Amino acid sequence: KLAMSGVEEISDESVEVKEGEEFDVEAEDHLRDDFLLDPTRYIFYRDRKEWADLEPVPQDDGPNPVVKIAYSEKFSDVYDYFRALLKNDERSERAFALTSEAIELNAANYTVWHYRRVLLQALSKDLREEMRYITAIIEEQPKNYQVWHHRRMVVEWLNDPSEELEFIADILSQDAKNYHAWQHRQWVIQEYKLWDDELDFVENLLEEDVRNNSAWNQRHFVISHTSGFSDAMEREIQYCLYQIKKAPNNESAWNYLKGILQPLGLSAQPGLLERVLELKQTHCSPYLLAFLFDCYEDALENSKENVAEEEQQKTLKKALEICQLLAQEDTIRKEYWLFLGRSLKNKHGKLNNYTFELCVIHPELEII
Amino acid sequence: MAEEESQFEEFEQIDFLRDRHVRFFQRTLQVLPERYASLETTRLTIIFFALSGLDVLDALDVIDRNTMIEWIYSLQVLPTEDQVNLSRCGFRGSSHIGIPYSTKGPGVLHPYDSGHVAMTYTGLCSLLILGDDLSRVNKQACLAGLRALQLEDGSFYAVPEGSENDIRFIYCAASICYMLDDWSGMDIQKAIEYIRGSLSYDNGFGQGAGRESHGGWTYCAIASLCLMGRLEEALSQRELDRIRRWCIMRQQSGFQGRPNKPVDTCYSFWVGATLELLDVFQYTNFDKNRSFILSTQDRLVGGFAKWPDSHPDPLHAYLGLCGLSLIGEPSLRKVHPALNITQRAFQHVQQLQQTWRDSTGSCSRHLWG
Repeated sequence: KLAMSGVEEISDESVEVKEGEEFDVEAEDHLRDDFLLDPTRYIFYRDRKEWADLEPVPQDDGPNPVVKIAYSEKFSDVYDYFRALLKNDERSERAFALTSEAIELNAANYTVWHYRRVLLQALSKDLREEMRYITAIIEEQPKNYQVWHHRRMVVEWLNDPSEELEFIADILSQDAKNYHAWQHRQWVIQEYKLWDDELDFVENLLEEDVRNNSAWNQRHFVISHTSGFSDAMEREIQYCLYQIKKAPNNESAWNYLKGILQPLGLSAQPGLLERVLELKQTHCSPYLLAFLFDCYEDALENSKENVAEEEQQKTLKKALEICQLLAQEDTIRKEYWLFLGRSLKNKHGKLNNYTFELCVIHPELEII
Repeated sequence: MAEEESQFEEFEQIDFLRDRHVRFFQRTLQVLPERYASLETTRLTIIFFALSGLDVLDALDVIDRNTMIEWIYSLQVLPTEDQVNLSRCGFRGSSHIGIPYSTKGPGVLHPYDSGHVAMTYTGLCSLLILGDDLSRVNKQACLAGLRALQLEDGSFYAVPEGSENDIRFIYCAASICYMLDDWSGMDIQKAIEYIRGSLSYDNGFGQGAGRESHGGWTYCAIASLCLMGRLEEALSQRELDRIRRWCIMRQQSGFQGRPNKPVDTCYSFWVGATLELLDVFQYTNFDKNRSFILSTQDRLVGGFAKWPDSHPDPLHAYLGLCGLSLIGEPSLRKVHPALNITQRAFQHVQQLQQTWRDSTGSCSRHLWG
């Protein structure tokens, strides 16, 4: 578990408070309900004869505890006995059963999960049953690191990934961008070579939501590990342009297009610039414009020696016009686009500065 | 300065409620209700958020430093007499294992007691924020514990018993080595390879190779390289420009963590600080960023939440402040973007390291502990 819980998944699992509750110290009223109303009422571990041999171990924060969590009697009792088991490294059924209770109270306690794994092996527990258990827990708490790690360990011990793709698909059907789920999916596919149906899976998800960035990432993952991008390049470009026409303001599609072309150079792909310029008329977006800028920049960076300086300067002019357009269209990033223009000009500009200053400040002026 | 003041006068209606945030962190440091149980093993990180938050607010005077320092030291996993647990040393997140309270060694042998890399990182930060000189930190033990966590691929586990491994813990490791001024705690080259391997096709960083690019992991990657002093060695100018682009595209009003996801206060720091480290934060839109962060401010209890009309928590409260500090909110201390502590605390680190260097003269850093 990490200090940097800011990243969404960790913040959801470890730091978020239940909605609708104020920041105050709670009363322990739920325990009273158990005691008085429930016929199979809850008995503290400290009152159970089968546990009388164990001395409970309280938490010890010293004279001045900091960030102390006010546990109920029930919570403290369970964990006092957990700590006792841990100290003796007891390997028993009762210990295993207690880990389930401890997990229910705090599924983020990585020590409990580790101890449970020790017991699973020491007691030769039924791992299929453990799979059912962990499936249920992940369904309840899909943004917890410990539960996914536990599942991975059990799958490894069983050496059986056969349930994984379906299970993860189910979790993704509830939250199609769950980072843990995608990570686990990538691990299973890579470890057990389950590539065959993944591209179809990705395409279905993109049908449901073409803006699902996780699905676009998975697309790249699958293709790069299977066919690679050389033969598939034209098909992938087509796929991107098709999706862009359906949803022009989709950063994910444009990032993918740029990403697959980048290794060879954006200006290396014949006819691409023209296709994008065409799209600019009807399906423009800041992403399209940025893509054009990047094409022009790539052309300038990779100019062969026989490219005339005049040709270069024309490309530069087009790039700077795009920057101006972006500064107008993508206003939140105005300063950045102007900065990019200045940088490009400084790097590649050869005509006298005055001309280009005019170009940048007064876009309606034409270059003579 | 006058210019900054008039710029902020315009935003009177979204005012920054400093005193509420001070009280929010004070309460955090006292008692939390049981529904915060999932934070038990990470309590030391919560202390870090509160202490660093108070530091950013220039309000550390409201807490009892010595009390805090003692409690943090009680979380150190020290070597036992025979040092058999050396590879498990560092700091715990809390007392949840049940080790009796103690602020000095030798360590107590316990089958399941070990440090956690994120707790060692935030423990050291917290001590430094409180002005401690780390003289009671067993640095060699911490570094031994750290070495035991690094895998062949360059990433780190969180704990020696095993856990998930990824770029987050590389950042923790780099911060630890940086603060202790001792890079024997990690294989830098392997860590750099893992970081490079995490660079996605879209020029952000994922948690590991092949994974979706994400603002938090991008911060971990860039901040780690900066702390190691290897940013320009590890990444070409072209790569850096592309990373800048990925980061700056995250701004929608505040910042999002991934393309096509909602904005969230904490990314004003993760992505903002990354942009600052890459020298282009100045080109972001400060007004929109500020407006968004303040829209997540809880006017009643203080703190910040990830979204407007959501409940605040210590992490978003701290990172919201850091996000505001990056854009120069008056009354907030400046934050060191790579180490994620105030510049004031950072200066203390530098002075401390100078005294270490002076006292050992030209001796190898490895030899003292």
